[in-house]
Amino acid sequence: MAVSSKFGDRELAFLRELVRQKVEFMIVGLSAAALQGAPVVTQDIDLWFRELPDPGLERALRKVRGAYVPPTASAPPMLAGKGIELFDIVLRMDGLGEFEEEEKHAIKMPFGRTKVLVLGLERIIASKKAAGREKDRIVLRVLTDALKAIRERERSKRRQKA
Amino acid sequence: MKVSLHKVELECRRRDLNVGDLLREAGVSRNAFYSLVRKDYVVPLSLVRIAERLDIAVSDILEETETPVARMKALAAESERISKRHPGADPDNIRHTLILLSERPIERLRRALRRGGVVEIR
Repeated sequence: MAVSSKFGDRELAFLRELVRQKVEFMIVGLSAAALQGAPVVTQDIDLWFRELPDPGLERALRKVRGAYVPPTASAPPMLAGKGIELFDIVLRMDGLGEFEEEEKHAIKMPFGRTKVLVLGLERIIASKKAAGREKDRIVLRVLTDALKAIRERERSKRRQKA
Repeated sequence: MKVSLHKVELECRRRDLNVGDLLREAGVSRNAFYSLVRKDYVVPLSLVRIAERLDIAVSDILEETETPVARMKALAAESERISKRHPGADPDNIRHTLILLSERPIERLRRALRRGGVVEIR
């Protein structure tokens, strides 16, 4: 299968490097929902870091020839560089607890040979509900339906195993 | 394990077909089919050897793979069952989620990003 130009080796290398540098982060937002099977569309991959700036993040960025752009009065922190512009930094998640708390609801998902923490779909829904923006409301129905389908599939798998 | 021409003919008769019609409808050439029929083994020899070493039939270590049509039918049935349990849910959302669940997570993400390139929802 052809590798999509939107998420290829460079993006994978960055995630792998973050894990290698022991940076504490998780994928959140619609990209996290998509990873779990929700039929949604997104334009970026939101990364929620436990703390910023993080020396591990700086090292990971150096490895992939990227850079951390600190926040200004009007702009959030950003990531710059080829293969990194797809990633957005998230500073807080509406309606959710601290990173440490939400980490418990996250699941590890495979990205090639690396496993990356991804916020659970239930918590993504909670965050979208709390944010309450127009774009969040539009996608909520899809997310809640997807959660039902995923749970039903898991339930039937458990029944088959029993 | 070999192809049983007798069994193929039997299945054809049940469907009121002859072998020629079957091959034409299935898009299989007569040469390809009869060359398979003439073979003593239609499974790789290494599998035959493994089965012999285990003293079992080759069929004991094989399992059916669903055809795309059978897979989609099973998926439609599952989608219908879930939609009945959740009457408020949109059946399209259920079906698309089930389709995506059969893909690797990274492929699901790639799909979302590809489509996100032209759709204005973040």
